[in-house]
Amino acid sequence: MPKTDERLDLRDAVSLDRPWITIVWDDPVNLMSYVSYVFRSYFGISALESERLMLQVHNDGKAVVASGNREAMERHVEAMHGYGLWATLAKADA
Amino acid sequence: MMQFMTGSENAGSVTARFEPVEIGLLRLAASQLIDLLEGAETHALGTSGDPALRRLLPDAYADDPEAAAEFRRFTADDLLERKVRNARCMLATLGEEPPADIADEPNDAELPATADAAASAEAPVIIDLDADDVQSWLRTLTDLRLTLAERLEIGPDGVPARSADAAPFLNDIYDWFGMVQESLVYAIDV
Repeated sequence: MPKTDERLDLRDAVSLDRPWITIVWDDPVNLMSYVSYVFRSYFGISALESERLMLQVHNDGKAVVASGNREAMERHVEAMHGYGLWATLAKADA
Repeated sequence: MMQFMTGSENAGSVTARFEPVEIGLLRLAASQLIDLLEGAETHALGTSGDPALRRLLPDAYADDPEAAAEFRRFTADDLLERKVRNARCMLATLGEEPPADIADEPNDAELPATADAAASAEAPVIIDLDADDVQSWLRTLTDLRLTLAERLEIGPDGVPARSADAAPFLNDIYDWFGMVQESLVYAIDV
């Protein structure tokens, strides 16, 4: 069984460029319960993980909720806008 | 309004009881949201004078206006269309609009009918939502709250710049929509 680390290394080798990230920003309107629900239902992550991300948005003003190629991040951002969340994409920091 | 409860019919369905005046409020708000969305000129959204529209379809790139405009060109029509569809779904689940108030034209012969109509107009309305309806409601309630927040000039701290005195009705509606949405999230949050 391959170790997780080896798989990550492979991905880094294949991806010649820095990945893109999807950022969700804090806003004073959306309910914490709703934001957590959106993360869980859209990204298919656990209740614990979605709660952690939601709190990060709430406390830090933003959170990176996904990373990958640009097209995938644009799809995520469009989906977040559909939910009414304030989301942007950007290149990950080097 | 009574809280949303898990429905008995299908998986993901919920049910709640609303007062007729609340149904009227939701219907009015959803209709106005549809007007706002349908009146939006997608090509000019990035520079739209209406902060509510800018918030409903925010820039996808924070520091790259060109990329943000490009993204908007490819996504804004779809997003607006979906938002309109969600609001129309909410309208549909609210049922038929009640007939115009016949009490406006007093007529002795119609008095008994008027009394009946008044009685039924005061009876709570049961709203049943299937899983798809729930998604439309969640999104539309969000869009309504985002729009109202711009009208109330709610700041980053969540406090409206327009005081409760200046816009008491809007403030109450904003809070109430939040309550409805929270109730809906908890009902499906299993």
